[in-house]
Amino acid sequence: MAEPEVTVRKAGKDNVDVVLENMDLSLVNSMRRVFLSEIPTVAIDLVEVEANTSVLADEFLSHRLGLIPLDSSLANELEYTRDCDCEIYCDKCSVVLTLNAVCNTDSTLDVYSSDINVAVPARSDDSIGRPIQSSTDERGILIARLRKNQELRVKCIAKKGIAKEHAKWSPCSGIAFEYDPWNKLKHTDLWYEVDADKEWPKSKNCDYEEPPNLHDKFDYNAVPRKFYMNVETTGQLKPDVVFERGIHVLETKLAEIALALSKAEEETDW
Amino acid sequence: MNAPDRFELFLLPDGVEKVTVSPDQRMPNAAFIKFEREDHTLGNMLVKQLQQDPRVLYAAYKVEHPLFANFVMRVQTEDGYTPRDALKNACQTLIVQLKIISRKFKEGYSVMSMLE
Ligand SMILES: [Zn+2]
Repeated sequence: MAEPEVTVRKAGKDNVDVVLENMDLSLVNSMRRVFLSEIPTVAIDLVEVEANTSVLADEFLSHRLGLIPLDSSLANELEYTRDCDCEIYCDKCSVVLTLNAVCNTDSTLDVYSSDINVAVPARSDDSIGRPIQSSTDERGILIARLRKNQELRVKCIAKKGIAKEHAKWSPCSGIAFEYDPWNKLKHTDLWYEVDADKEWPKSKNCDYEEPPNLHDKFDYNAVPRKFYMNVETTGQLKPDVVFERGIHVLETKLAEIALALSKAEEETDW
Repeated sequence: MNAPDRFELFLLPDGVEKVTVSPDQRMPNAAFIKFEREDHTLGNMLVKQLQQDPRVLYAAYKVEHPLFANFVMRVQTEDGYTPRDALKNACQTLIVQLKIISRKFKEGYSVMSMLE
């Protein structure tokens, strides 16, 4: 098989569009699966509610806080709490965030994710755990709306994790994945009223492949070789970082297996 | 209430081996390999790579139960080649491919991000 080829079609702020060639479907699918669920990021995992007189229940508020994307570029500097020496959390395995808001006016007060502050920026770079803002003039995600005299006083502990444990740790909001846009391989059986060709819209990826020739015989041995992938992130990580770290996670997985096999070999005689 | 902890999907407990190779008693050069705390991400990729190996006669895997985070792979090879070596080669080939993909992605991405 020829060497794998990668073409980057678009490098956006929070998405990257790539065409991958000369590799197996299973490999690209594993990459997709790892991007979605096995790249470590940081998310709020513990919430200490000191005051919550809003209309939202504590659990409801905690859940909303957990889903807020936090900057995870430096997630690798953080330990997992389960590997840490501490009991519940410490500087090595967590980032402490605070949210304090009181409504003193007759009109309601909106509380946004940009109102969350990193309590102790103890590390070299204080970006870790900061709520993501797509631009400086916007206020982020609406968390709650307070009426006069209602108050929120919350301490949030953000931890490192992967999306296999909870989707809040997923750096990807979605991955578009396609191959064989002309359906030459017949992996898809298109439903139709009269004519599938007329009723189904063509994928834009059709421009990247030769249309099928009606007179060609069906090739039973053909396998997909060209894959179109658009990785869209939540902002926790930049899209190119998702790509690179995801591949690294896969490599580590394979290396771990190879190592375990060698180890098992020493212990048995066959 | 009695749902297993989510981290049991990927955290290898103490005393559990990552991979266990046991020979298939019925024929030579065949083995069952059990992978602990792994899923289709690894299983499918490895099996497809093994099937590319001309000295591999058979390679397949199954996730025996959806609540247990492991899968079993059966590999059969030609004489003078072991399932274990076949697997190690498959891992190696995939790592090489991933390194190429990563390198080419970085090159392509830096060019594209300069343009945009
Ligand atoms: Zn700790």
